[in-house]
Amino acid sequence: MKPGYKQVKRMTAFMRLNHWVVAFSMIGAVLTGLYIGHPYYQSMIAEPAVVKYVMAWNRWIHFMIAIIFDVSSIVIAYLYFFSRFEKPYKKILPTGQNIKEFFEVLLNLITLNRRKNFDSTHSDSFNTVFFLMFHLLLAWLLLTGLQLYVHGLASGESSIGAWWPWMLHLATDWTVPVSTWMVGTTSPTPSIMDVRTVHHMTMWIVLAWVAFHIYYQVWRTIFWKEGDIGIVVSGTKFVKEEA
Amino acid sequence: MADKIEGVKKLFTSKSARVETNRGDAYYAKLFEKCQARIDELKTQQPINNRLDIGDVLETQGIERRDFLKWASAVTGMLMLPASFTPLVADAALLMNRAPVIWLELSDCAGNSEALLRSDGPKIDEIVLDIISLEFHETLQAASGHQAEKQLEDAMETFKDKYLLFVEGAIPMGNNGTFGTIGASGETMHDHLVRVAKHAAAVVAVGSCATFGGVPAAAPNPTGAVGVMDVIKGKPLINIPACPANPANMVGVIIHYILTGQVPELDSLLRPKFAFGYRIHDNCERRAHFDAGEFVEEWGDEGAKNNFCLYKVGCKGPMTFNNCSIVRYNEGVNWPVGVGRGCIGCSEPDFWDKYAYERPMADANIKAPTGGVEKTVDEFGLGLLTAAGIGIGIHAAASLVAGKKEEAGE
Repeated sequence: MKPGYKQVKRMTAFMRLNHWVVAFSMIGAVLTGLYIGHPYYQSMIAEPAVVKYVMAWNRWIHFMIAIIFDVSSIVIAYLYFFSRFEKPYKKILPTGQNIKEFFEVLLNLITLNRRKNFDSTHSDSFNTVFFLMFHLLLAWLLLTGLQLYVHGLASGESSIGAWWPWMLHLATDWTVPVSTWMVGTTSPTPSIMDVRTVHHMTMWIVLAWVAFHIYYQVWRTIFWKEGDIGIVVSGTKFVKEEA
Repeated sequence: MADKIEGVKKLFTSKSARVETNRGDAYYAKLFEKCQARIDELKTQQPINNRLDIGDVLETQGIERRDFLKWASAVTGMLMLPASFTPLVADAALLMNRAPVIWLELSDCAGNSEALLRSDGPKIDEIVLDIISLEFHETLQAASGHQAEKQLEDAMETFKDKYLLFVEGAIPMGNNGTFGTIGASGETMHDHLVRVAKHAAAVVAVGSCATFGGVPAAAPNPTGAVGVMDVIKGKPLINIPACPANPANMVGVIIHYILTGQVPELDSLLRPKFAFGYRIHDNCERRAHFDAGEFVEEWGDEGAKNNFCLYKVGCKGPMTFNNCSIVRYNEGVNWPVGVGRGCIGCSEPDFWDKYAYERPMADANIKAPTGGVEKTVDEFGLGLLTAAGIGIGIHAAASLVAGKKEEAGE
């Protein structure tokens, strides 16, 4: 370790594992989701239909990933309030201190690190709000996705019982009028097509989020010189010891 | 009558999407007795105005009784009833002329009436609809002007609270409804519908215009068209969307009404679950090609010759709830996917703007409802991503320059 620096813990083992599960799942979900929206490749052309299941495998992977996202999201939502490490909700509440920290970190970014008046040993308000945006986008993708999924369970039955489609309808039917409101319509009746459009659109917003996320973490690492990029691997970073 | 209306209302408020296909022997035994009693009661009544006898009509059209019974068992299956109900369904078809029907035509193309009238030879579904006691139908009847108005009033008075009201076409609401007027007195379509619906036993909205506004409500919807369910409240209402609505589903609803005195079980969009409980996609004959990833890439290619899945040329079967893939049209002759072009989702709300294009949704140029610029979801998304990338690039370059200046300053 460089002299004059101390190592601080920033992510638990579970948080790191979850980060990488989400990262790789997102790549998989985008690749398969784009195929479902518009099948962009052909495979095993010479094989008869009975053996290849190209679309079926894409859908299987997409839905499996969705379920992993679902469960991960429930756990993360729980940790927002009950984590024994850092409770993220404390950094989201619009308290004077949080608002000040949020703008200090933002000023740090737009002044290209000319100004750094905050404590960078813990997850700051700006970062936490930024991650909250991702979690909300992901929740919206999951809710709209489950609404689209339940159409395939039209009989009201599923392999795990009738409660599952019933619950999906209960939990996600409201996304239909909300999606129609987002897309806009001249017809008085909400259309399930809008859920598809909005689900697809949200993917692009998430991709833009990912682009900024990777960039910002690299930027911090370079400008702050505190090894931030290593947090997601080792769980720790380095900060200057106060003299 | 009052308890029947209560029963109808109760059915009406159930919103679950579940389709119950087997309710157990005890339920069906009880239902059978109930339906039998109702049929017996109807048999004692005289036919209303239509003196056509279905037996005679079938004979003149050259349809054998055996075919009629095959049809009856198909309808029984469609209504999700056990096979033992087949004789009751056949009886109900014979008693269709006991059901007084008033048919209104509003803002539409008459396509649903046409679908019934212009088949190459009348099939049993269409013949059965000939047998209903059609008391008023502006397009079909000889009377016009004040004479027609008189006929409508007579029918409404004679069959007060008993007639089934079929509505075809959307209701223009813009400019106080004056975009559409009807009859000699220039009554707006809205007022006309409200007046006739007041004493109907139940209202059946037929076709996509009457259910969800359909083509008249497509962007920019200049007349402010809406469906019947947005105008008529507090009445039993059944939606039979599609463009045109399948005669088989109209017959199914009427037969259900004659059999049980009630409207069939409905989903959240008030569509009968027996017909709209499943997606076209779920029972499509080309579904295996979808799962296999075998798609028609363009019209007339090798895939098209091999009956591959039409998803990539815009089939909306995966988003469309209807029974076309099971009952087809014209008594099972064929249907859109069967003739090699995709489904356009004609039975879904807003189908003209959001379903009827020959591309998958991901490639759609959905026109903004405000009538502005055409843009696709992907183009907008890619634009956003590009903007984010440019922003990142500018920031990175600025950071680099600033860093160098700092170094030089030190």
